Order: sequence, then structure tokens, then C-alpha cells
Amino acid sequence: MDRRKFLVSTGTAAAASALPWRGAPAADVWTTYQVTTHVDVADPRGLTQAWIPLPLSIDTPWFKNIGSSWSGNALRAEIAADGKYGLTMVHAAWRGGEAKPAIEVTSRFMTREAVTDLSRPADSAERLSAADRAFYTAPTELIPTDGIVRDTAHEVTKGAKTDVEKARAIYEWVVENTYRDPKTRGCGWGDIKSMLEAKNYGGKCGDLNTMFVGLARAAGIPARDVYGVRVAPSKYGYKSLGAGSPDISKAQHCRAMFFAEGYGWVPVDPADVRKVMLEEPPGHLAIDNPKVAAARKRLFGSWEMNWLAYNMGHDVALPGSRGPRLPYLMYVNAESGGERRDQLDPASVKYKIVSQGALD
Amino acid sequence: MRRLAALAAAAWVAAAGAADFKPWDGGATPPLELQDLQGQVRRLGDFRGKVVLVHFWATWCGPCREELPSIEKLRAGMAGRAFEVLAVDVDEPGSRVRGFLEEMPLALPTLLDTGAHAARAWGVRIVPASYLVGTDGRIRYVHQGMLDWDEPAARARIDELLR
Repeated sequence: MDRRKFLVSTGTAAAASALPWRGAPAADVWTTYQVTTHVDVADPRGLTQAWIPLPLSIDTPWFKNIGSSWSGNALRAEIAADGKYGLTMVHAAWRGGEAKPAIEVTSRFMTREAVTDLSRPADSAERLSAADRAFYTAPTELIPTDGIVRDTAHEVTKGAKTDVEKARAIYEWVVENTYRDPKTRGCGWGDIKSMLEAKNYGGKCGDLNTMFVGLARAAGIPARDVYGVRVAPSKYGYKSLGAGSPDISKAQHCRAMFFAEGYGWVPVDPADVRKVMLEEPPGHLAIDNPKVAAARKRLFGSWEMNWLAYNMGHDVALPGSRGPRLPYLMYVNAESGGERRDQLDPASVKYKIVSQGALD
Repeated sequence: MRRLAALAAAAWVAAAGAADFKPWDGGATPPLELQDLQGQVRRLGDFRGKVVLVHFWATWCGPCREELPSIEKLRAGMAGRAFEVLAVDVDEPGSRVRGFLEEMPLALPTLLDTGAHAARAWGVRIVPASYLVGTDGRIRYVHQGMLDWDEPAARARIDELLR
């Protein structure tokens, strides 16, 4: 599919001049997407393995996984799961003699707008067990909840009473104090303790939204990162918040959620506010620019679901690998001859992710 | 593993062997009650006394398109024995499935899993996915991914369940 057809199929070809985020999000319309990831492990040396993230394995009000298929020349390919987070991936392995290890994974899924009405609590809202509350307020290897993270969270949420108020305070703090650094490799690894200690608040979604999650957890609010990739243009007129072509190999994006009693899991995305500021044409928009203000308002409580959610995992151990755990699994990973490839270097793991756009 | 004959020079689809069937350890057999393409409700329980291959697939899935003819051949080869195939299309409109079957005529009983509720209940995350159900109605083996049903080992699994 070429770019023009892609834009037409997603109904966004004429949206470039649309006013930002007018009207209420349409939460009841499901859209089906298909995404294919083709992986070639370059220069194989001995036993070769690859790990490809699969769509979110749990149903949510905003995402349904229809299914995936794979093909290729792997000796073995199977679904592997992380028992802690429910994260799933295709784990493929090739013999040492395979000259051109390759695998292709095709996934279909449905999305609809993720919207939480924060105007009033609802009796029907999802509840969180004590165990899940403990799970989603616990630290991870790169998200400590003590020391400078806890101190910052307490400072930022001072005066806020409810979890929604505290989360809002953290969201506004991230929007106002961090910035999108285009030089960050990939999406950033979310080493928020180092960021806070160095008072260097630059990064990308893996840093900025993880900052939200870490500060929320440190404030006692259940929170989680959700890793994924953009699959279609934004229909709200934001060029920076969508995929501009069928090739979405570099469109990875992670988001964040917090939990509040009476509201359930609430979608937020402060990193995208900073992305709008940096990248939305003509670029380097002021924080009070109407387009930034509209995004800032909308991205506390809703996500546009032109996005494939992979998982919510942290500290991911790749099955069959002796290599280090990953902060998260949002990219294709590979190893050959016992050596982990640089997942952000396209020369060592060649992969192309293609979105067919909206199918309906 | 046996590489399937390539359909084109550039084809590189591979299929797993029957040795990759895994004994089912997922607990009780989930219910399966779906409409077929003619609108008739089919229930797994109606096939008690037969070995049933419950096969989840989709028209958009390349490996599924590769595998279906070998399942058709398997079913034909098992005619007269206590064996049946239920080909469950995952969450596609009946019109799309019918259109696909006009291009690839298959006699397999085809069920429509609208909403993918059955696929979820059966733990399907990859298509194709094959479940061998014993004569007692319990799932015995599962394989997620493509299989080569021409392999003797695949039929041996079915024979084992028919004994």
C-alpha cells in the first residue's frame, strides 16, 4: 500500500487542516488493523534467535487482539509469555547453518478510542484487587519508588487530595518540566532516577511517560506503561501524533495509565504533549499554542487509538537468552552466536513493520 | 521440520512437524458452539466418540492458506473413520469467508467465530492453531502455528487417539 492509499484508507487525507481535537472522542466505534513485521537477522553467526512482540494479550475497553500468524525459515517458532506481566512474543530460533534467518509476523487487532469520563466516578468502573494495587505501585529495575523519585512525587503532589488530583499534578509537572529530546536513541529507556538526579528531563516517550508512571507509583497511585507502535495517522489533525506512511518501522510509542477508584484505568500521554510542541508543524510550538493546549487537555484521560498496544511489561527476560533483561519489549530483538544485537541498530537487526491502515 | 514445497521461487514458508504437538495442559476443554456458513449451529459435543481436529484460521493468514489444503486432504484420507475437522474462522464476516472459499474450494466444515470469543476461550493467539480432541471430548494435543499434515507423524497422533 502506498502512502496516499494509506492516508485515504485511514480517512485522514483531508484532515491535515482540521482543527485540533474538536468534539468528543468516539468511544464506541471499533476499527480493525493489520500489521506485518518482517525480520532479517543480518550476518548470522551460529545459533540465531529473534523475539518479536505480539499485540496485547488481554482485552481492554480500547483494544482487542484478533490473532497473529507467522511464517519464515526458523527451525522453531513459538509464542513465549512473560508470566509476570502477561507479555507475549514470538520466539524464533534458527540453526547455525541458516544463511538468511528470516521471519514474518502478521497481526490483526481492533481498537477504539480510550476515553475515561473524569467528571464523575462511576459504580461500574473497573476495580483493582489489593494484589494488583501492590503490583502496580511496586518498583522496577529502572523505576525506583524511593529516594529522589519518592521525594519528587511528594513535592509534586503536595496539596492534592484524591488520586485523580495527584495524577493530574504529576501529569502537569511532566508536561511543564520535561522536554522531547530528538537525540535520544529509540524511545529512551526510562532511567528516571538518573534523570531526576541530573535534573536532565529530556527524553522521549520511554523516558517522559515512565517519569509519570514512576512518580505516580511513588505517590501510591497504581500506574503502568503500555508499549506499542502507531499504525495510522491521527484523525484529529496532528501530524506528529500518527503514522505518516505504511512503513511504521520507526513509529514505536509507549503510553501511560493510572488507576483511580471510581474511574478505573485512566489513559494519559504527557510525552505526546511534548512531541506536539517539538514536532507539530511548523515546529517548536509554545506551551500555550492552541494546538498544544488542546492536546494537553485531551491527553489526560484519553488516547486516540491509531496505535497497536504490545504489552505493559518491565524488566523483560527473553526466553532462551543468557543476555541481560530488557527495560521493556517494544522493538524486535535478536541474538546470533550468543551475542545480543543492538535492537536500535537497523544494520544488525533488519526489520520492517508495515501497517495496512484501517481495514473497515 | 520439513520445508514445504515452495509455491514460488521466493516462498520461504516453513511448517513444523507433528513432533511439535504439545500435550494439552490447559485444563477443561472450553465450549465450542458456533454457526457454520449455512447458519447451522455446530457444537463440539455433537462429535463425541470421534477424534476432532479443531483448527483455528483466518483468510488473511498466509500460513493458514498454505495449510488448509493439507487438512482437506487429511480429512478425505480419514473418510469412514471416527474423525472430523472443524475449521474455525476467527472473527471475519461470513461473506469474506465465503468469498475465500470460492477461490479455494474446501469441503471442511467451516464455523464462524464472530467476535473471536471461542479463540479467546481456547487460548488462540496465533493462527493457524490446531487442537486434537479425543473421542471423550477432551483436548489432548495442541499446536500453535503451521503444521504439515502430510507427515506420517501427524496422522500417527490421530491414530493414537483413535485407538
